[in-house]
Parts: sequence; C-alpha cells; structure tokens
Amino acid sequence: MASSSSSGLTFKLHPLVIVNISDHYTRVKSQLNPPPLTSTSATVNGVENQQQAPRVYGCVIGVQRGRTVEIFNSFELLYDPSTHSLDRPFLKKKQELYKKVFPHFYILGWYSTGSDAQESDMHIHRALMDINESPLYVLLNPAINPTQKDLPVTIYESELHVIDGIPQLIFVRSSYTIETVEAERISVDHVAHLKPSDGGSAATQLAAHLTGIHSAIKMLNSRIRVLHHYLVGMQKGDIPCENSLLRQVSSLLRRLPAIESEKFQDDFLMEYNDTLLITYLAMFTNCSSTMNELVDKFNTAYDRHSRRGGRTAFI
Amino acid sequence: MDIEQNQAELIDNFVKQASAQKGTALGSVILEATSHPSLFAFSEILAVPTVAELEGTENSVYLKVLQLFAHGTWSDYRSNCSSLPQLVPDQVLKLKQLTVLTLAETNKVLPYDELMMELDVMNVRELEDFLINECMYAGIVRGKLDQLRRCFEIQFAAGRDLRPGQLGSMIQTLSNWLGTSDNLLVSIQEKIKWADTMSELDKKHRKEVEARVEEVKKSVSVKLQTVSRPKLSSEGSRISTLNLVE
Repeated sequence: MASSSSSGLTFKLHPLVIVNISDHYTRVKSQLNPPPLTSTSATVNGVENQQQAPRVYGCVIGVQRGRTVEIFNSFELLYDPSTHSLDRPFLKKKQELYKKVFPHFYILGWYSTGSDAQESDMHIHRALMDINESPLYVLLNPAINPTQKDLPVTIYESELHVIDGIPQLIFVRSSYTIETVEAERISVDHVAHLKPSDGGSAATQLAAHLTGIHSAIKMLNSRIRVLHHYLVGMQKGDIPCENSLLRQVSSLLRRLPAIESEKFQDDFLMEYNDTLLITYLAMFTNCSSTMNELVDKFNTAYDRHSRRGGRTAFI
Repeated sequence: MDIEQNQAELIDNFVKQASAQKGTALGSVILEATSHPSLFAFSEILAVPTVAELEGTENSVYLKVLQLFAHGTWSDYRSNCSSLPQLVPDQVLKLKQLTVLTLAETNKVLPYDELMMELDVMNVRELEDFLINECMYAGIVRGKLDQLRRCFEIQFAAGRDLRPGQLGSMIQTLSNWLGTSDNLLVSIQEKIKWADTMSELDKKHRKEVEARVEEVKKSVSVKLQTVSRPKLSSEGSRISTLNLVE
C-alpha cells in the first residue's frame, strides 16, 4: 500500500459519518458478545473477544464538487462472507431511499473497520467501481489507544500503479479535514462533555468543571503571551511596526476591564451571599434531621418507661 | 477588525498617491484622505517620506493637519484654529468621530455632558443622532446609550493611531493581564486539588465509619449469642433485632 495520494482531491469528512461507523461497530460487537455473567466466563470471553473483533461494512455518501469531495452521511450494508461481496439488492434499495431524501448525495464509497486495509478489501472496492468510478474506502480503527492524538480514521483511494510490470489497483492513503455543520458541532461538544454517570459526587463534578475553565483560560493566556512578545519585539525594534495590528491591539485592550461598575459588584456579592445562605440553610436542615434520627434511635434503645429487660447494649 | 480590512485598501491607495507626489500636490492628497468617510488610520500616510519632508516648508500646515487627524481631537483644533487651515465639513465630521474614539480610550462610560463639551454639540438629541449615525453605523464604535443616566457605555471602539509613548503602556497592560491570568490559573489548580483532597478525606471517613459499624454489629451479635438470657421478653428481642438491622 502506498502512502500518499496523487489525485489532488481534497476530502472533507463530517463527524456524523465517524459516529455512524463507530455506532455500527459497537452495536454489532455487543450483540455478538453478550456481557459475561460470572468472572470466570469473563476471562474466557475476554480471550475470545480479542480474536473476534467483527468487521462491519457500509456505504458512505456525499457530494463531489470539482476537486472537493465532501462526505456527509453513511449507511450500513450486509457483508456476504461466501461471495466476499456486499449485498447488492439491499444497496440498491438503500440508495434509492436516500436519493429521495437527499437528492444531491451520491455514493462516494464504502467504509469498514479494522486496523489496516487488507487485500480482500480490494474485491469489494472493485465491485463498487461500477457505481462510482473511483470509490473511497474509509477505515476506522476501533482499537482504543489512549496515547494516540489523531482520529483513527483513514481514507484510502485506489490508484493504478505498475508493480512488477503488472498494472494493479492499490490503496493509497489520502489526507482529509473534518467539516462540521452547526448541529454536528453541538452534538460532538455535548458528547465530549459527558461525565461518567457515577461521577455524581460533588467533588468530581466541581473538579471537572474547574478543569474545563482552567484549560480555556490557559489557551487565552497563551494567545495573550504571543501578543505580548510581539509588542515587546516591536518596541525593541526587532519587528517592523505594523500600524494596523497596533490599532487592533489597542482597541482590544480598551475592552478591559470587562465589567467594573459598582452595580456589578453589588449584584455579584448579593448573589454570592445568597448562595452561601442557601448552602448554610441546607446544612442546617441536614444536621437537624440527623440529630432527630439519632435521638429517635437513642430513645428506642434506652427506653425506660414501658418495659423491663430486653435492654441490649447499643454502642 | 473588519474596519481594518476595509481600510487596508484605502491606506495602500493613499500611500501610493502620497509617495508619487510632492509638495503642494500632497496637500490635495491629504485633504482627500482626511475627508474620506471610511478612513480612520493615518499613521501609514504619515510614515511616507515625502510627507515627512513637508516639515519646515511652507506646506507644513498640511503635515500639521495630518498629525492632528492622527492623534488630536476637536478641542485641539479649536485651540489651534489660527495655525491650521480651515477644514471642510467632511473633515470636521471625521475629526469629531476621531474625538469620540480618543475619549473611548480613557473611559468605558462617557457622560453626555463631557461628550457635548468635546464635540461642541448643544442638545442631547443632536449628540445621540451623531453617535448613532456617524459612529455606530460607521462601525467604529459599539455600545449602549443610557439616556436615564445620560451616559454612553462603550463595548468596543476601533483603535486610533498610536502615539509613540502609547506602545509602552500597552505592553504594561498586556503584562498585567498575563500576570492576572497566571494567578488565576494557579488558584484554579489549587481549588481542583482541594476538591480532590476533600473528596478523598470524605471517602476515607465514610469507610472508617462503615468499618466501625461492621465491627460493632459483629460484636453485638457475638454478645447476643454468648449472653444467655432465658427471660428475654418478645419486645426485647424485637428491639435487639431492630438495633442489629440499623
């Protein structure tokens, strides 16, 4: 497999496609291996899981305008292991349905999961060449690698290369950019901020919230530092003065301080005090109810009036 | 920031014109530049060598006008009225706009009285018309007019040309900003650590309490078994089971 594409097409991938592929893979995987019931069967299943990562297949659709290929959506397909090809009638039916809803979208290629493109994929690729003369192959690597910083998604194109005197179709990798629609941006943002459902303790929520703020301020800080260096350099004379930038910086600095009026201080302090008061009140209520319970228990344990005997030591 | 983009072309244009001509002809270029409705930046034109040469010649008035427009205000013009040539109405308008920008440099909230004095306007209506039509629609200022408190709250104002000394103060402001945000980052990190340690302590405390409860339960159950009480009333046994369950 070559490692760089020469077709000159620019690819834009929408997050919806990535989410679809990973959802498909997760569903198939969890349906195939139901969660283990006991710990011993877990280890057995665990070993099997490693070997059985299922491959899922599907089609990607989108728009091609000139040299830019934009992949908007995807749908799933059935893979027939006996004939090593995708289910054609189903593909046709799905294609018609999608055409009705999105008349502009064409089938641009297909997707699958795995760690690397394989030889058998070429069959499927060739089969799709009658729909689109140069289909794309989107590969998602479902292995979770915490050290990896990029998305585990690669887009391959097919090119005719002469190897050993025989022209052969091989996969070449292409680079792509991610393009988002507003709705996609909101959902990705939402998913990125998902907290674990048992992280309900106040401390972890507070820590997560503060960490978010911390990273935002750190980014702002680094940008301002760049501006600072730039101005200092300009003052020393290392950099020629660029007046338009200086004007913009001066107008920016005039926006500080953001809010300083007296009314803001008053309102802010009032809200702060209100929050503290409510917390105090809640604590009070909590304490008094605990006290009440304690007294009840004590009375039940050391009740003198009604009975004799039956008094056990309750520490 | 789009103001700068709009001005970039105009500035290039005028710089080319200014460098192409000399002397008296420059006067007309300067006149055109200072009356142009979308041009608010003059330091590039000031930097052109042919303009700087005007200093000391009989055309130095044009240079002074350019400098006035780059750094001065309407009141500067009024006080030096005699040494400067008469300004056409377009220039007057522009100078007043630039005055508003200068005032915005010092305060974020400008009282109407001060604005009326600086701009030579007699009533509030005219002032507000001027602010709305000439300043906000031109995009050089963005803010809110507060008529009850008679002030103008500015949220954004375009930058004027810099005086040589202003660069130092800008750097100072930036370093203050950096210092404040660094401190803020440090205190946020401390808070995060505090939250984590508090939750750790809480968990430990909870575990300790539960361990003690378990101990107590075991010891009580042992006691009940070893202590043989033939006359345990039914109430008593119910109460003892209640205690164990609790």
